[in-house]
Amino acid sequence: MIAATELATPATSAALAVIDQLLRDRDGMIARIRAGTQLVAIMRTMVATIALCGAMIGAGLGSYRGGVQIGYAAIKLPLVLLGTAALSAPALSAIGASLGRRARLGVDLAMVMASLAYGALLLAACTPLVLLARALSLPYHHTILAVVGMFAVAGIASLRMVVHALATEAAPGWRTAVVGLCVVFAVVGGQLAWALRPYLVRPRAQDLAFVRALEGSLFDAVMGTFASARGRYAPDVNANDEGWR
Amino acid sequence: MSRVHSRPIAFAALGPIAIGGILAVRADQLAPLFAVPAIVFGVVAATAPALYIATAATGAAPPVATVVRALVTALGAFGIALVGLVLPAAFLSLSSLSITTTVVVTSAALAGAGLLALRRLAGELGARSLGAAVVFGVWSLTTLGIAGRLWADFAWEVIS
Repeated sequence: MIAATELATPATSAALAVIDQLLRDRDGMIARIRAGTQLVAIMRTMVATIALCGAMIGAGLGSYRGGVQIGYAAIKLPLVLLGTAALSAPALSAIGASLGRRARLGVDLAMVMASLAYGALLLAACTPLVLLARALSLPYHHTILAVVGMFAVAGIASLRMVVHALATEAAPGWRTAVVGLCVVFAVVGGQLAWALRPYLVRPRAQDLAFVRALEGSLFDAVMGTFASARGRYAPDVNANDEGWR
Repeated sequence: MSRVHSRPIAFAALGPIAIGGILAVRADQLAPLFAVPAIVFGVVAATAPALYIATAATGAAPPVATVVRALVTALGAFGIALVGLVLPAAFLSLSSLSITTTVVVTSAALAGAGLLALRRLAGELGARSLGAAVVFGVWSLTTLGIAGRLWADFAWEVIS
């Protein structure tokens, strides 16, 4: 039997080798990124991995409704992952540098991308579970909870990789830098995911839009929900019953 | 002033201008562009001598040149942290419909950068005695209190 790497071009083989190392030897991958060698090639592979894996899990989520939603979610989910990384990674460098850590934006960006790529690979591995949920006609809210669980596992794995990378570096202020990255990542990722929703849509939904009209930020929605909980209802709050999904 | 000092000062000016720019765009006013750096530099200029005098009175103050270098480094750290937070803050602000979100986001960025700068300043000055630590704690709270009040008053005026 011919190995897949033997059939691929040298560039593809190198990319597959990088992905293989990411899955099997993360310490080696971290050391490679920190050394700064082949940073551009590693970044290119990570971006492609996030895009492809994000598209896979996005298509899986979209398949719950089917039709054009498969394409919509397959496009939007990689945008959320890559956009969040691009907006958040500079915060890691800046917070670290402000506490005396050596500022290496390229290395930090590659580290964040590698961690996200690892999480995206784990999410891609979960895609069959999403398809199984659809095949078994699992109720909508049960599916939502299952997807949240999958994303939580992938997110924790990604975070663990970043924490491990910075802990072994042991630079001044690395803990604060990780906390800062987590806060920025959660807020920016939450808002970007919110702005580009929906991903998982009920099978009976009729009118599908690529993105909903801007109804305010996630923060606005949370504040609106707090107000509603205290009995102060705004006419437009939660007017769209599809929620955050 | 040496080159070593000019870079942190440049960052210290650039960061607040950028954060002020976010509020300026949302409020359609130019004032935040100038107000944010003015608050930062004004409050530091007003309170920094007190830090040196009080620490010296405890008998634990480093040489004045060391204190100046530490303050400049901390100001630079403040600016660098803000520069790193500009992209997420701008995204969160511009993707929201409410200007209150902009104020919350920019306030959080300024507060976070301020705390990081204080931590850096504490590290640069070094813990020389319990008295010096107490002085630094009181000075930090006072500086944050003054800057926070000025910022809150200004932001309130912008959104109202």
